[in-house]
Amino acid sequence: MIKLIEKIEGEAKLNFNFKDGKIDFVDVEFMSTRNIENILRGKRAFDALVINPRVCGICGHAHLIATVQALESCYDNLQLSNKAKAIRELTLNFELIQNHFKWFYLTMFPFFGHKQQILKATYPTQLMSKAIAVFGGQYPHTSYAVVGGVVCEITQMDIIKVENYISQTLKFVEENLVKIDSKTLLACKDADALLEFSGDLPDILREIKNTDMINHAKSYDRFIAFGENSFFKKGKSLKKKVSHSISLKDVKETEMPTSFAKNVSYKEKYYEVGPLARAMVNKTALIVDAHKKYGDSLYSRILARAYEITELLNYSKKLIKNLDLAEPSYIEPQLDISKLTSSGYSAVEAARGTLIHKVEIEKGIIKNYEIITPTQWNLSGGTREKLGVSQKAMVGLSDIKTAELVFKSFDVCSICTTH
Amino acid sequence: MKSNSLFNKLSSRLDELSNLPKLDDEVSISKLVEEKGFSRREFMTWAGAMTSMLMLPASFTPLVAKAAELADRLPLVWLHMAECTGCSESLLRTATPSIDSLIFDYISLEYHETLMAAAGWQAEQNLENAIEKYKGRYILMVEGGIPHGQSDYFLTIGAHGKTGEQSAKEASANAAAIFAIGTCSSFGGVQAAAPNPTNATALSNVTDRPVINVPGCPPSESNIVGTLLHFILYGTLPALDVYNRPKWAYGLRIHDACERRGRFDAGEFVEEFGDEGAKNGFCLYKVGCKGPYTFNNCSKQKFNQGTSWPVQAGHGCMGCSEPDFWDKMGIVHEPLGDRLYHTTFGGLGADATADKIGVGILTVTAIGIAAHAAISLVKKPKE
Repeated sequence: MIKLIEKIEGEAKLNFNFKDGKIDFVDVEFMSTRNIENILRGKRAFDALVINPRVCGICGHAHLIATVQALESCYDNLQLSNKAKAIRELTLNFELIQNHFKWFYLTMFPFFGHKQQILKATYPTQLMSKAIAVFGGQYPHTSYAVVGGVVCEITQMDIIKVENYISQTLKFVEENLVKIDSKTLLACKDADALLEFSGDLPDILREIKNTDMINHAKSYDRFIAFGENSFFKKGKSLKKKVSHSISLKDVKETEMPTSFAKNVSYKEKYYEVGPLARAMVNKTALIVDAHKKYGDSLYSRILARAYEITELLNYSKKLIKNLDLAEPSYIEPQLDISKLTSSGYSAVEAARGTLIHKVEIEKGIIKNYEIITPTQWNLSGGTREKLGVSQKAMVGLSDIKTAELVFKSFDVCSICTTH
Repeated sequence: MKSNSLFNKLSSRLDELSNLPKLDDEVSISKLVEEKGFSRREFMTWAGAMTSMLMLPASFTPLVAKAAELADRLPLVWLHMAECTGCSESLLRTATPSIDSLIFDYISLEYHETLMAAAGWQAEQNLENAIEKYKGRYILMVEGGIPHGQSDYFLTIGAHGKTGEQSAKEASANAAAIFAIGTCSSFGGVQAAAPNPTNATALSNVTDRPVINVPGCPPSESNIVGTLLHFILYGTLPALDVYNRPKWAYGLRIHDACERRGRFDAGEFVEEFGDEGAKNGFCLYKVGCKGPYTFNNCSKQKFNQGTSWPVQAGHGCMGCSEPDFWDKMGIVHEPLGDRLYHTTFGGLGADATADKIGVGILTVTAIGIAAHAAISLVKKPKE
């Protein structure tokens, strides 16, 4: 049976194969492409800063940050102020936060017998988008990060605005998502204690726990995260064992004959990326506890993504406190881009997981550009012998609706995937 | 009085509309807005802002309010083509969770792939039903460029694997009005940048019906809503510029109403990001602002509910509402003047020319602006 999945960003076609009433194999196929990598070839390197955010209107900011970092990695001794670093981190955090809200209220909510909560999705989303706009001028599709720093010269007034947006969003979380003081939530280390609270998140988690859904959506229990910043760590987690020494050299992208998307593997194996992966690598106590109790199930995946909202909001507050406005926003690179022949790469944690950009420049002109998006990791369509992460999570289920829920719990985005 | 006759014309148009059946008899937009906790006063404030944006006198506010309430007489079909969903983001999500998005949510749920609760076969059925049921009455908004001709297979939509080009053609055939939302469906957009691997093109190239372009990458939420309200109010297509853009929104250059315009006139320029000029909000022309060549109302409307816009953040305009800006408005951090006359002066560019050769005949705005920027530098040497 073929089922078309929409209401992810863009479309994907899932072809379910049943055997004895259970899903035995799922073919994942993407049906469109724009071929952005091809467009980038031959363009001036800095043009990528304008083109790449347009790879995706949903996580375009992650693409901007990945682009600027990839270009910067082409230079030797490029200087970047702490202020610029922190501002870039802040805006990326805000994008992650607003994305998680949309996913939770627009995509997940309807599966649990609730109506889509458009206003609950748009209110915090709008606050976070405004916070990005204060630094970047607009959201989506800002290009405020440039090689050498950021262009915005923020003032104390801007800081006050952003702090207000953050506290309003936190307030929304405390009044809706988990109805408890966010400090208490952040201190909570027991995944079951969370079920005692009221709020939209505990409601859904209780529902999962009280049905057999708790056993659903288990995959390989292999996680990976390459994006590194002052909050996220780089590493992989294999059956709870975390190692931080991983290299992008072992990441491989392969073409698929039937789909416009490409497969991605690490050392020939498929890994899950996203908030659950990040939390496992970061050893976030609450999520590790959920994983210990319920494995890499639907429960852990939903909890990890929603919990990241509070974590990032709280961390962003700290980042802002430590901002030193006297530092420069931009430090001019010593070498003009037109004299640069080099190659570089970057890895950034986007809302849906690790995003990788690789670039080769010849005298300031892009010779080659490669983008590996988070959804490519999670949705790599394997064969029957070697299932992809999301495929494995769906195999064994008996009804398509649950399979769709499981599929969407990865927060898939086909726009990025078929860039 | 002139405005009186317009007022009467719009009033009778709205009266006609109010006789049409509603989408749902049980629900009205004014009730919906009230239920979501907006007071009448807030609604009227919003209508007032919309009125001024549409360049109508304040006395028209009640009409605009009425037009918004009548939005449910004209269902909206929103199609996604090859794109990044940024325009829907701009409208439905990053916009105010307020009156704009409420109205859009309510009237556009007929077919909007990103938001729609139905999926797969059912969704496709919904679209076909909507087109049939509201034949000749619905407003079509299309987001995204359209892979065209031999390359149309780069985008297939729906469970039947229809190509995007087919869907767009069919939906256009029976629409009351067609709006291309965003630069992609207006002019092809990012995927149409050289070498245009998927042969993406504008909506106006795949249908023979008139298409109103609302470009921008993304267009501001107010331009999208304004376009809709304008159609409800007038029932006719708005006054358009040469690229079929509504003049009320795209009639002026970014430069004309720019908050940094005074700096430009005074010859105060940012020479490099992060310099003293950048800290003082000087003009961004020399670091690549394309505001003087770009027609849009960003400098007045801004983005994210008026929070900010690129020039305010210190970046400079990229010309995203102009055709083929990817290829024609580059280089991103350099003034266009450097490139326009690239060949004429041995690759020195207009700015360099002005500095080194002296200013010739300044007939073209572009060269005039470039020269102004250059001269100002000569007059104000760096300390």
